[in-house]
This record gives sequence, C-alpha cells and structure tokens, in this order.
Amino acid sequence: MTTPQQSRTSAPQVDVRGPRFGAWVTTVVLAVVLLTGSGWLLAVQAVVFAVGAFAGLRYAPYGLLFRTLVAPRLGPVREREAEAPPRFAQLVGFGFALVGTVGFLAGAPAVGFLATGLALVAALLNAAVGFCLGCELYLLARRARTA
Amino acid sequence: MDSTGAVVLLVALVVAGLAAWWLRSRSGAVRTDRAGDDVTRTTDVLRSLGVRPEDADLTVVQFATAFCAPCRATKARLTQLQTSHPGLAAVHVDAESQLEAVRALDVRRTPTLFYLDRAGTVLGRSSGAPRPDELRALVDAHAPAGPAS
Repeated sequence: MTTPQQSRTSAPQVDVRGPRFGAWVTTVVLAVVLLTGSGWLLAVQAVVFAVGAFAGLRYAPYGLLFRTLVAPRLGPVREREAEAPPRFAQLVGFGFALVGTVGFLAGAPAVGFLATGLALVAALLNAAVGFCLGCELYLLARRARTA
Repeated sequence: MDSTGAVVLLVALVVAGLAAWWLRSRSGAVRTDRAGDDVTRTTDVLRSLGVRPEDADLTVVQFATAFCAPCRATKARLTQLQTSHPGLAAVHVDAESQLEAVRALDVRRTPTLFYLDRAGTVLGRSSGAPRPDELRALVDAHAPAGPAS
C-alpha cells in the first residue's frame, strides 16, 4: 500500500456544533445588515470574522457565546473537527465583510449589498447543510494563482 | 428601510436553497461516465503520484486540502472500511502540493476521489464527500469484505 500523505495531525480541535451555531448567528446578522443597509453593523461582523480568523476560534465571539450559553444546555461533545477548515472560512467571511463595509461606508451601497448577499449565501449553506464554501474555493484559488 | 436589501436577501435565500438542494442530490455521487476523459491518462497521472493500483483490489485516491473538513471525514470512513475490506487501499493526496496533477485531472473541489481496480482501470470519480452507502456498495463490489485472498 502507498504511504498516505498526511499533514498537521496534532492540529487543534473544536466541537463541530460551535461553528454551525456561529454560522446561524452570522446568517441572522447579515440578514439584518441587508434589511437595514447598515455599514456599521457589517463592520462589527467583519471584526467578529477577523477575531476568529486571526486570533483563532477559541477567541471567536460567537464561539464564546456558544460555549457559555448554548453548549451547557446541549449534551456532551460527540464530535470534534480540526480547527483549520472553519478558521479559514472565517477568513473568507472577513474578506466579503470588509469589501461590503467599505462599499456601504464609502457610498457604494450596491457593492455592500452584493458582498453581504454572497456572504449570507455562504453562511446559510454552512449553517444549514454544513457546507464550507470557502474551503471548496481554496483549491480553485490555489489552482488559479499558479496557473 | 431600503427595498434593495430585502430583494438581495430574498435572492440570497433562493440561491442558498438551490445550492443546498444541488449539494444534497448531486454532491459526492460517483460518476462513471465523464465524456472526454482520457482514462489511461488519468491512471498515468495518478501513478506519477505514487499510486500503485496493482497492489489492491480497489484503490481509492482522495485529493484533499488542509482546509477541507469533509476530506477528514472521508479519510476516517475509508480507514474504517479498510479494517473490514483488506483488498481496499486508500491514498490521500495533498492537492495543494500537487497542483500539476490537480490541473491535469481537472480536480475542482475537495474531496475529489478516484476509484481504480487492480488493472489500473478508472472505475469512476466523485466530487464532494461520497455518500456512505454508495461508497460501501462500491467497496463491497470491488474489494469484498473478509480476510485477504
């Protein structure tokens, strides 16, 4: 048998329900951004994404919310996953939120609405079916960059 | 209140709904009929990555990245199947470090899996985490459960 190529085996783990909960909260926040056109609310969401992406999921605000308020009401942790995929998703979300925030605050609401709408699709897919759009796009981006 | 936002919200919900439906119905399905695919070339490319189909009844090659959660789940599932199906071999390729092969095989999503029999024939490929029942049926058919023959 061929030797499997494996990387980063002792990576940090998170309860799978944490990122899913965070995706639901994100979906709701982004829906409110769309309904109010509030660039400042989107800016707050951008900061939330940035903390998760750059500081790590253990500091992510929605993750803290999950651990302190939601997790104690649920059963014990049944499944854990590596931190890298959901953390990368936060980075992708940060990109969309940043573009949208600049759009709203710089007087180009069309850009704001578009970026927020795309981020909402990604967040909702993540929340509802556990699909990680950013993770899928990662390979496409890597392919394109060195093509 | 601006109606633009409400319209965008509605469109986003519809798009997400359609995407979710597509993912549920199509993603992960094993396709055996990719028109235009040069099957011999596919095997050659996989061989160049160190895949040796002649060593097992069924060789499953998974292209994965570090940021791919379903890849990890699929890997665990394959490892589990290997304990009951000794004729099954699983090879995990880090797509990021094999971009040439990724382009040659037109791998667009992770996980993408290739299924090869002992003769090196490509039985099929699938994109997205394979459905557990379909994967098990394929493994049962080509690498029957039980002690090694």
